[in-house]
Order: sequence, then structure tokens, then C-alpha cells
Amino acid sequence: MMLPLLPPLPVVMPLTIAALLLAFSHVLPRPVPDAVALFATVMAGGVCLAMLGPALHAPLVYWFGGWVPRHGFPIGIGFYVDPPSAAMGVFIAVLFTAALVFSWGYYDEVHAHFHVLMLLFLAGMIGFCLTHDLFDMFVWFEVISVAAYALTGYQLRVSALEGAINFTIVNSIGSYLFLAGIGLVYIRIGALDFSALEQGMRQATPDMVARGGFVLVATGLLIKAAQVPFHFWLSDAHAVAPSPVSVIFSGVMVALGMFGLAKLCWTVFLPAGELTQGVRHFLLGMGIVTVLLGGLMALSQRHLKRLLAFSTISHTGMLLIGLASFRPQGLAGLFVYLVGHGLVKGALFMISGILLATRGGIDELGLRGAGRPIWPAGLAMAAGGVLLAGLPFGLMGQGDDYISAPLRHSLGGIVPFAIVFGAACTAGAVLRAAGRIFLGLGPVAGEEERGPTDEEAEKADRPLWLMLWPAVILLLLSLIVPNGANAFLTGLVRDWLPPESANLTTGAPMLQKPPHDPAAWFGLPAALALAAFDLMRHRLPAWFVGMVDKMKNPLLRYLQAAHSGDVRDYVAWAAFGLATFAVVWNI
Amino acid sequence: MNLLPWIVVAWLMLAGLYGMITSGNIVHLIGCLSTVQSATYVLLLAAGYRHGAGAPIFYTHPPGTPAVDPVVQALVLTDIVIGGAVTALLLALALQLHKRRGSLKPDELRALHR
Repeated sequence: MMLPLLPPLPVVMPLTIAALLLAFSHVLPRPVPDAVALFATVMAGGVCLAMLGPALHAPLVYWFGGWVPRHGFPIGIGFYVDPPSAAMGVFIAVLFTAALVFSWGYYDEVHAHFHVLMLLFLAGMIGFCLTHDLFDMFVWFEVISVAAYALTGYQLRVSALEGAINFTIVNSIGSYLFLAGIGLVYIRIGALDFSALEQGMRQATPDMVARGGFVLVATGLLIKAAQVPFHFWLSDAHAVAPSPVSVIFSGVMVALGMFGLAKLCWTVFLPAGELTQGVRHFLLGMGIVTVLLGGLMALSQRHLKRLLAFSTISHTGMLLIGLASFRPQGLAGLFVYLVGHGLVKGALFMISGILLATRGGIDELGLRGAGRPIWPAGLAMAAGGVLLAGLPFGLMGQGDDYISAPLRHSLGGIVPFAIVFGAACTAGAVLRAAGRIFLGLGPVAGEEERGPTDEEAEKADRPLWLMLWPAVILLLLSLIVPNGANAFLTGLVRDWLPPESANLTTGAPMLQKPPHDPAAWFGLPAALALAAFDLMRHRLPAWFVGMVDKMKNPLLRYLQAAHSGDVRDYVAWAAFGLATFAVVWNI
Repeated sequence: MNLLPWIVVAWLMLAGLYGMITSGNIVHLIGCLSTVQSATYVLLLAAGYRHGAGAPIFYTHPPGTPAVDPVVQALVLTDIVIGGAVTALLLALALQLHKRRGSLKPDELRALHR
């Protein structure tokens, strides 16, 4: 039986193929790197899929170098393939496959470096999901990060270099905090394997040292997951990275930080009794602020990729809300929403890539009406915008239901309102951009005119259909919610929940299927109203436009000024966030 | 573990962060980032230190004799490699930026930003 040998394969294979590609890149003819990278990605996804079925019965464990635990104490580094991790691996591979098809033939000039970096990126992400060791997690975190830094600055334009530097510096601080946290945890517990950590923490009484370790590890992951006030790097980086890379960044890299945090919280910190009410409320508050701020910032952008980047911040805040409820439903919602959002946002970044390649621009105001000849892309963009609004169907709608159900009454019922507000803002921004670019609406610009912009174009050598169909497939995938999704989700989250929460004897489902969130119906009308207000401002009565602008513009300008593009400000914000978090955790 | 390593760690980390926030040049800022990273080296090495113990190489003395914790040393080595890669990449990016903009002062970069 091959099964016990499978876990390292989705990591080892892309890494080996990347090394071979690099070694032979100077002799390989043009389509070979594209085909090989695509092959490796599909195979890695296939292996994860093959492991998912068996993992639903019992997680697969693989100890590297044969260092199996002695006397029940782990002495080696293991890969532990539980259902969420395997499913995440499949999702990562799907998104990479779409991105590689989208970029087919685009990067042929320099020795397959793009493909090598993408394969490294892929291997790092899957390793991050499968590992069961805190330090190994850090190593994969770094592999992801370094590949991402290099891919951001890949085009060597001024704005790309600035974005890459900001991204690298802020995320490196996150990495070092993560590492310092690992050191503190190791001092107290003396172990790095997740199960050993959890056992050790149950026995030891957590003190300042262990608690400091949690704070630092969590902060490192929150920086990666771009939560306010750690989010500033994201909009700079996602706006300047090549569009297939932005597909991966927004689709899964940011969400992966949240996935890692969820895994640690549920399997290590929560059983250890470390997550006090104060910490949970802090995380919930952070998620809500992130949802709101991302939405407002998305509305005031004109650079399309930057707009989508702020929308990603808002939707990643949703994931934190799902985590911070610390209920099985919230966790299930996190998974569903993560996948749904990744698919939709991936498709939207592909459409911005299509505009860059065929229309030679990314500025919403500059492209007004320029999208008419490529109207099918406009339809896809509008569909993506509608999906972001969080209507109660498709994966995002389902995730929304699961996330909001346990929180309908906490914090004075603010959560459903915040969710609808964020969804309406981001969807409104996307719909406004689609209306302006593809229909030529909105001759008079509002606050978005003051947003930063950039001259940018990508090579126009690919047919429209080649770039469009991966986007359409991603959008269609995000609409499919199979029957029995709740049973599958139960299997998915079961492995992470503490044993006492499982009702194994009666076999009753622990995961209640939530009722539809009635508030979700308001997302789309609100989004349409926001888009229509900005596109029709020359038709609306002047007093009305003036009144609304006077209400929202001071806030938007203040927020714009805070997103200064100066990395020193970002470091200061991160330090402030860390200090606040540390104080809250120790109260 | 006595108090001294903790003080050194906190000092290095805070000094590095302060330097980054007030920096006037991207290369200086990258240096400060390395200072923050050095704090993690000190922390990890101090975590594994045992007073009076030898190196964790049991070639000349038998296994079981007191030795410092080899796990954290492996962590530090990995950390150094990663830090080297990140610093090299950052400096390369800064060099490319200087070629195109002729400046690495954040204030001047910011002035041209919008």
C-alpha cells in the first residue's frame, strides 16, 4: 500500500521539479517550463485529493527520516494530513493550476525563473498546511514568504520594487516575531510537535513566557493574514505583483495565515485553556474593524488591483470573525468562505490581468469605456462583484451563514451588520469599476479620483479566451455547493475539535446547518446603490451628492492618508498592534 | 536562564524597531531589520544554554553527559540562512530601486509616490 508514503510527495515533487527546471532552463524550448510547472501542480493537487478520502477516516502521519515517537514523545518532524489540511492542499493546487493556465506563455523570456518561483511557492504552501511541527511551520512560512517577495518585485518596475520592499520588511518582522514566539514556547514546554505542545500546555500552568510566545506566534500569522493594523503591506504588494501572482496572493496566501492561526488556536491554544474571553473579543473586534476598513478603502480606489487588494483585506477579516467565534460552525464557515472567496477573488484578479494585457491599463478612470470590445470579461467581472456581495447562495453565501450564525447576538448584534457593510462596499466598488470600464458610465469621478494610481501594462500576446476561461471556471466552481456539504464539513472540522465536543456515542451531527442569514439579502441592493451613486453623480441632485460626500469624505481622506506607502509608518502600526495584543492577552 | 539575555533580547528588538520607524535610508532600515532578527538569535541560544554543559557532540564524551540543547542551535542555523536570503533579496531590491529612482530616502520616495 502506497498510502503511508504519500504525505511528503506534494511538497517534495514540486521542489524537485523546480530544481530540475532551473538546472536545465537554458536548454528547454519555450512551452516546456509552462507544461512541466502545470504538470507538477496538477500532480500535487491529485496527491492531496487522494489523501483527503482516507484522511476523513483517520489522519495520515509521516515521520521524516523514520524518527518515529519514542515512548509516546515525538522526537522527529512529522507531516500530519488531517482532512482540513488535505482539502486546503487541493484548493491551493486548483488555484495554482488556474493561475498557470492563465499565464501560459507569458513568462518565456527569462530562464523559467517565474515557473521555478511558482513551484517553490506551491510547495511552501502545501508544506505549511501539512506540517505538524511549530518550527517546521515557520520554515514553510518563510519559503512561502521568500518566493512571494521575489515574485512581487519580478517585473522590476519602480512601483513593483517599492511594493516588494514594503511587503518584505513588514512580513519579515512578522517572521521574526513568529520565531521569537516559538523560542518562548519552547522554553516553557520543551516541545515543538503540535500534540506534544498541547499536552505540555495542559500540564504546565501558563505564565508570562508561554503567553508571550502565543502572542508573538499569533501576531506573526496575523501580519501574514493582513488584519488591521498589520494590513498595510497587502495593498502595496498585491497592486504591483504580476496578475497571475496576485491571483495566488489574494486567493490563498493571505488566507493561509488565517488557516495556520485557526489550526494553532483550535488544536493547541484552545485545549490548553489559553484563549480567554478577552482574547476572543479582541480577535473578533479586529476582524470586524478589518471588514469595515477594507470595505471603505476599496470604495476609494481607482487602481483596480489595489481596489481588489482592499477587498481581500475586508474578506479576510470575515475569516477572522469566523475563527474568533470559536464555535464549530464558525470554523466550518471559515473553510467554506476561504475557498469561495479565493475562487471569486482569483477570477477578479485574472480579469484585471486581462485588462492589463488587452487594454494596456489598470486605472479605472483611465479605462472608462475601454472595455467594450472585450465585453465577456465585463460579464465575468460583474458576476464576481455580485458574488462578493454575499447573497445567500454559492460558497461565499454558505460561508457567510456559517460564520454569522453563532455571532448573531454577540457584541450587541453588530456582526451581521458589519458583514453586510463590508460585502456591500467591496461589491459596490467592483461593480462601479465594471460599470465604468465596460459600460462607459460615470464620467464624473468621486472620492476614488484621489486614490493612488500607476501606469502599467502586461504583454499582449495571449488570446482573450485563454485568459478568460480559467476565470470563468473559478467563478462557476464558487457557485457549486454540493448536497451533503454539511456532512463533509462535519468530517472536516471534527479532527480539530477538542474530543469532548464530539458526540461519538450517539452519532448526532455536531455541526448544525445554520439557517440562512436574512441580512445577506441586503448586500447586493446596498452594493448596487453604492455603485450607482458614484456612477450617476452627475445626474443626481447636487445637494444630495454634496451631503453624502460631506459625510463620508473626511473619513475616507483620513484613511487614505494613513495608507501612506511609507514603510516606516507600517512598522510603527505593526508595533502598536503587537503592544495592544500583548496587553489584552495578559489581562 | 538569568535576566541578562532577556534584557539583551528586549533591547535589540526595541532598538531595531525604533531604528526602522525613524530610519532615513532604506539600506539603514534593512540593517535595523537584521538587528530585530539578532534578538531572535540571542533568545533561542539563551533558551538552550545549560550552565557548565558542553557542545552536543558526543564523539569524545559518552552520551548522557550534560550538553546544551541542540534543537535550538538547529533553529538558529535555519534562522541565519533565512535571514541571509531575505537580507540579500531586500538589498537587491533596494539596489534596483536606487537605479531607477536615484534615491533611497523614504521621504523622497514618498514625495514622488503620488
